[in-house]
Amino acid sequence: MIVEAYERLPIALTVNGRSYDVTVEPRRLLSDVLREDCGLTGTHVGCEHGVCGACTVLIDGRPARSCLTYAVQMQGASITTIEHHGASGELSALQQALHERHGLQCGFCTPGIVMTMQAWLDENPEPTEEGVREALSGNICRCTGYQNIVDAVLVAAGRQADMRKAGK
Amino acid sequence: MSSAEIIGKPLLRREDRRLLVGQGRYLDDLAVPGALHVCFVRSPYAHARIVSIDASAAVEIEGVVGVFTGVELAEWTTPLRMAPAIEGLLPVESTALPLDKVLFIGDPVACVVARDRYIAEDAAALVEVDYEALEAAASFDAAVADGAPLLYDDVPGNLVSHQAFSSGAPENILDTAEIVVEAAFHQHRVTHAPMETRGCIAEWDEGQQRLTFRLGSQAPHPLRSQLARRLMLEESQVRIICPDIGGAFGQKIALLREELVVAALSRHLRRPVRWLEDRMENLLAAVHARQESCRTRAAVSPDGRILALTLSMDVDFGAYCFYPANYMARVVAMILTGPYRISSYGYDVKVALTNKCGSGPMRAPMAIASWVMEGTIEAIARRLGLDPVAVRRVNLLRDADLPYAMQTGEVAGDITPAQCLDRLLADAEYDAFRKRQAEDRERGVYRGLGLCSVVEPSTYGSAFYKAAAIPGSGHEAGWVKVEPSGAVNASVGLMGSGHGYETVFAQVVAEGLGVDAETVRIHMGDTDVAPYGMGTRGARGATAGGSVLLLAAQAVRRKALTIAASMLNLNTADELQLQAGRVQRRLADQWSDTGVTLASIAHVAYLDPLRLPEGLEPGLEAHRAYDPPPMTYSNAAHACEVLVDVRTGKVTVERHTVVEDCGRVLNPMIVEGQQHGAIAMGLSGALLEEVVYDEDGQNLTGSFADYSIATAVEIPPMRVINLGKPSSSTPIGSKGMSEGGVMGAIGAVTNAVNDALAPFGVVAERLPLSPQYLRSLLRGKT
Repeated sequence: MIVEAYERLPIALTVNGRSYDVTVEPRRLLSDVLREDCGLTGTHVGCEHGVCGACTVLIDGRPARSCLTYAVQMQGASITTIEHHGASGELSALQQALHERHGLQCGFCTPGIVMTMQAWLDENPEPTEEGVREALSGNICRCTGYQNIVDAVLVAAGRQADMRKAGK
Repeated sequence: MSSAEIIGKPLLRREDRRLLVGQGRYLDDLAVPGALHVCFVRSPYAHARIVSIDASAAVEIEGVVGVFTGVELAEWTTPLRMAPAIEGLLPVESTALPLDKVLFIGDPVACVVARDRYIAEDAAALVEVDYEALEAAASFDAAVADGAPLLYDDVPGNLVSHQAFSSGAPENILDTAEIVVEAAFHQHRVTHAPMETRGCIAEWDEGQQRLTFRLGSQAPHPLRSQLARRLMLEESQVRIICPDIGGAFGQKIALLREELVVAALSRHLRRPVRWLEDRMENLLAAVHARQESCRTRAAVSPDGRILALTLSMDVDFGAYCFYPANYMARVVAMILTGPYRISSYGYDVKVALTNKCGSGPMRAPMAIASWVMEGTIEAIARRLGLDPVAVRRVNLLRDADLPYAMQTGEVAGDITPAQCLDRLLADAEYDAFRKRQAEDRERGVYRGLGLCSVVEPSTYGSAFYKAAAIPGSGHEAGWVKVEPSGAVNASVGLMGSGHGYETVFAQVVAEGLGVDAETVRIHMGDTDVAPYGMGTRGARGATAGGSVLLLAAQAVRRKALTIAASMLNLNTADELQLQAGRVQRRLADQWSDTGVTLASIAHVAYLDPLRLPEGLEPGLEAHRAYDPPPMTYSNAAHACEVLVDVRTGKVTVERHTVVEDCGRVLNPMIVEGQQHGAIAMGLSGALLEEVVYDEDGQNLTGSFADYSIATAVEIPPMRVINLGKPSSSTPIGSKGMSEGGVMGAIGAVTNAVNDALAPFGVVAERLPLSPQYLRSLLRGKT
């Protein structure tokens, strides 16, 4: 077997509204580039085969597995990571509800859950418990048993609805 | 809030914020300039002789620093010899990496060190290992069969442990009994699957001759001792630092071989070296658990009273012993009878080494015990045509029986099994369920409700280890220090992986000392900072760790009040108390502020010690150690409701109710979270998870697509009611929890499925309760 030297390509990534110029091999995973080249270690890698959901980020506003995405595919795309939520110093309604409802324990899966469920809540502002469980089923949590995460998402949805009604 | 009432409050977790915004610091988040990366070359054979290893192509790749094998590692490390003096247990020895033979698929045979992980993996693929395949012994039966291939020359018949016990002549009673009920239970192989895989970063400091080793460890100090010993270093030459840990569940206790290799390579290369396990490695080669087959025989009276009980247990332990191979099985056998009055009991436990990944403790290592006992109760009820609740009641320990010494000598003290069961039957609407079940059956809809009483052994004091001849200690250590400004630091030898320790232990110290919880900071996981404690395992955090911190905090408070009395020109501190960091004095049954604060006391203690009362040392701190009772027992009753689609074999868990008594609850929110997690792990394991090996020892479950873990869709709504009768034998009043949920869930869901299948006259006695397995039972009957 021969290992070929891979050509390294310069790319410009937009992450959380900021531009990063990196040079990467075509095979380099977006998750590795975010964590190692951009220093954004909030995106966690749990399985590297797309099942556990810990590495979920938004690509052009839609949830995607950063461990199944090559960074070179991301030229011109807008990427959002967990660091976006909390950059202001305040927790989002979903993060606050996860805190209050004890929806995290070891916290390793939590960034992926926040990214997945916030995007889902934006499209499903009045969820049912069954809907939340279905939407959450792409993220594995080994600690909590999910009950408190489900409760937190429902609480967050309620608070977001109240804020909309209040015209905020 | 009065600082005297902080324990027991549902304080929100202080660790959450960093974890929620992506500022947690897990192992792979730590940047180490110049660190080299490691990738292990692993065996594709279950059992093979290593003929040769050729790394010449691998080392040609730019960026590769070297390839190392067992031969080099044997020069830099000592072998692990697992040889406690336990009757019936044979010693087993293993080197850092295999020298001549691999014993399971995934066994590491060489280690590539390179500039980055991609290059290390490229090079690992080029290491040519020539193997001579050997016949594999890939199951308990295959391993103990006549003429089976031997894993170790000095373990005849691969039978590493055989222990038997008998009290009250159970065999005699069984031989002459009119009614004997037999039952079988086969628990499958599962694994911990923490969301963060294992990994480590080793930094050898040549100038200081000192190793800093970062990894997620549940038990940093014992790990340091073992690492130092195996590297032939002093304990003072090794520092363990644990960052945030993304789940452990028992997989991150012992020093495993990859970690030892990475540490040894850092010292050899005089460079920082790091390794991060990938998910396939974690599933194939980290630690597995629980592959156990049990058979019980019970002699019973016509009303279901158990007159004698025997257990035979066969354990498929896998290839390597990072723990005494008898340990987990022995606990099952010792506590099997749980909440029942059984005056005649015996066991026969065999543990075999097989060509599979080695086993270790996993959250509730004794998990099968509740299923076996409660499944036996169900078998008795079926045989006698009795209500399973009636059979439980006739055998259940009552308050008047307590404390109850089991035949094995284990003493259950403050347990409340009858109260938990009574409350559960009401809350789980047992009678209403039976009515609903009968109506549904008429329509061809098959529901089941399964019960499971649990007596959870927790905390494991030194006396338990001594009695079980297991090496080690069950004590825990902690310190509490008031700094000159009045800031409070505290530490304990535990390390958490999502347990909420930073919050709960701050509550404990705050109440013990008399300050607000917000002012207390807990430091764990750094062996240069934390006292030598035994770490997180055996559900000991609250009872061992909480107790020792309470004792240390109370000692500091006593000293602080002694100083305060002197500052106030009082002869004694008897009429003083600390509340929220301020000293109050009782005058005519009223507490009034004295103007003295903890900060002013600390100032005197550290910076103006001439004002201290005579004989008192400067400073304001205390260091305590605490050895818990041999065992603390908590207890619970579980009810699980399922729907079984008999056409497909699919099980849907509809709800799960638990009444639990784990003693004093330090933080109800966190305790409930632990209970949920334990129940979910039990259900997931019983329904979905399985490490599958074929008969040649090939592991077929190397990804999360194959090793299936329950998602939010499979886990039902859970309800947990805490009774909370404080323990009379621990300073903090807790009894331990977080493993019983696994035990109860496995037993309850299996009993529920069997209840649902009762009309078909079949009994599931293997896990997981997969559609394929249940259909195989139902074939020809539906």
